Amino acid sequence: MSEVGVTSTGRVVVKVVDLHKYFGSLEVLKGVSLEVHQGDVLTLLGASGSGKTTLLRCINHLEQPNSGEIWVDARPMGFRIDAAGRRRRAREADVNALRMDIGMVFQQFNLWPHMTVLENIVEAPLRVRRWPRRDVHERAMALLEKVGLVDKKDQYPSRLSGGQQQRVAIARALAMQPKVMLFDEPTSSLDPELIGEVLGVMRALAEEGTTMIVVTHEIGFAREVSDRVIFLHNGLIEAQGTPEEVILNPTSERSRQFFSKILH
Amino acid sequence: MDAPWIRTVWRHRDVMWDGLVVTMQVTAIGFVGAVVLGFVLCLLVMYVKPLRWPARVLIEFFRATPIYVQLLWVNYVWPGVLGWPSSFFEAGCAALAVQSAGYLAETFRAGIEGISRGHVEAARAQGMSSLLVMRRIILPQAFHTMAPSIMNQFLVVIKSSTLVSVIAVPDLMYQALRLTAIWFEPIAILSCTALVYITVITCLSLVFKWYTDRLRERYL
Amino acid sequence: MLENLQQSLEAFDLALFWEYRAVLLPGLLYNFYVFFLTVGVAVGLGLVAATLRLSSNVVLRWIGTGYAELCRNTPEYITLIWIFYVPPLLLSAALDRNVSFSPLLAAVIALGLASSGYFTETFRAGISSVPRGHIEAARALGMSRSLTMWRIVLPQAVRHMLPEAMNQMVSLFKSTTLVSLIAVPDLLYQVSLVSNATSKGLPLYSGAALVYFLIIFGFATLAQRFSDPWRQRSR
Repeated sequence: MSEVGVTSTGRVVVKVVDLHKYFGSLEVLKGVSLEVHQGDVLTLLGASGSGKTTLLRCINHLEQPNSGEIWVDARPMGFRIDAAGRRRRAREADVNALRMDIGMVFQQFNLWPHMTVLENIVEAPLRVRRWPRRDVHERAMALLEKVGLVDKKDQYPSRLSGGQQQRVAIARALAMQPKVMLFDEPTSSLDPELIGEVLGVMRALAEEGTTMIVVTHEIGFAREVSDRVIFLHNGLIEAQGTPEEVILNPTSERSRQFFSKILH
Repeated sequence: MDAPWIRTVWRHRDVMWDGLVVTMQVTAIGFVGAVVLGFVLCLLVMYVKPLRWPARVLIEFFRATPIYVQLLWVNYVWPGVLGWPSSFFEAGCAALAVQSAGYLAETFRAGIEGISRGHVEAARAQGMSSLLVMRRIILPQAFHTMAPSIMNQFLVVIKSSTLVSVIAVPDLMYQALRLTAIWFEPIAILSCTALVYITVITCLSLVFKWYTDRLRERYL
Repeated sequence: MLENLQQSLEAFDLALFWEYRAVLLPGLLYNFYVFFLTVGVAVGLGLVAATLRLSSNVVLRWIGTGYAELCRNTPEYITLIWIFYVPPLLLSAALDRNVSFSPLLAAVIALGLASSGYFTETFRAGISSVPRGHIEAARALGMSRSLTMWRIVLPQAVRHMLPEAMNQMVSLFKSTTLVSLIAVPDLLYQVSLVSNATSKGLPLYSGAALVYFLIIFGFATLAQRFSDPWRQRSR
């Protein structure tokens, strides 16, 4: 993948090579390749149906790609090479081990309703990472502090607003200390007045140097926070580069149309 | 009711009590058996493709056969074919378990399928294994939606347990019928027995209702 | 092992079941006979109790609720035995002459009482599922109370409660197997007679289980088929 005018110094955390994905006979991804370096914020833009969410879900193997390769932290995601050099499906345990290093934030928050806010956050660190309880709780409280929800720690998710739930979901993903965070339209199901608080948390994360891949419709956020933007159209990368290049000075006709509609 | 009538029941309160203990044993064993068998059947239907159809047929058979027929069938036919059960007590428990297992299997399946896909994906995305997802995310959540039907099924088992008296399991109903036959005072004995059953079942259903309301309040 | 196998085969030798069809078939018809009589009793009592539960009078409401709970919380077997023995004795004492219930009468009353509790709840839920706004809209158009009930409330309520009511009919049919316990000559009763006479119980009990299963399964499947479109239309 060529690096279009981006100065990336860190090592590669996520690498996607020629990814194809079908839903039935519909080809949603038609050969997508990209690299994300440590500390990068990559934003995926595109109309609905362009394949950006599918791409994101392939990265942590919630969707299985039909062909192509995904490498996370230099480890293969969802496949392995056996002794004879053939490509095989990965064992479930290997996929799970890699997923621990990938945080994911969903459009619908997906907090577990039968656990309190704190329980939601400590669940995976305790039972998947098997980290000591005291450390986990300490860090969970620190994360809650960061997202501004310490006083809600013993509430059940149903008692929280959408914005609060999404902030908890971000804390939950961060509690695993992932190497990369995936955001799947994190503000799309929020009321307009609640979007700001979630974007604020994400902006803070970006400034701290968290590696992030963000699917969003918030163009303003993409412009301000991203190091790099990819514009997807019909399952292919139509344009990529810095926010200025892709959003403000689009070269392709399609991206010009898309962004002029959104910006004006 | 005249005093002498009541006296018969009072004089035999220990026999009645023994009967009630047997009723509780049969109910408890039958219900636990039903939960285990129902859960296994549910897992087979949902996750084990080759056994899906046999499990479905069993579930439908258990569900669509009257408990009394089931009881006689288990009691007369099973020992010859399966070599078990070897006592009336076991046969009674087995029939109750089999009867409710079909219902519970359906309840469990609906409960598990009712969990939103997103909640499971959120767990998978954090690297949880299938087993952990089932144990920590799916089952506890499903329990909230299933609790009313599970508890209702427990009451059904108590009610159905009266029938084990037909195959000479000495439960409360059996003792009541025996005492009636000996003393011929059906009014006092049968009414008191009915009262015991009604009290137990009503109290339990009130407790269950209180519990489900509390669950709902907490999470919804 | 071999003996076991032979017994297994014998247990499912349904030829014997067929051989005694002349005795068994009338037994099965008896199940249906009891069923239809009981449905009448249960639906009738259920409607009355549901009306009480929906009444604006607190006392009546309590009576309706108490009745439904009592019926639902009593095991059917004890209801059956109690009705068979106790009321006739009480009536005999009260009327000072010998009263007794035929097994069929006791069975119909007992099963009717037992399942009327469930019907009460179904009817009540069905009727209160009709939004108040619909009733107010009808009244605002000048429709009379009974016209509103007949044209607006009932059609919606029936649609809403039909699936549940059918389930209860299926349970009721299952319960009819209990009547053999007070010597109503239904299928199971005949099976026990024949099996005592021939000492070949296994295939007979298997056959009975199979017959009941087929009837109830067919019944339940039909009920499901029939009620699904209704359920959808009421949405």
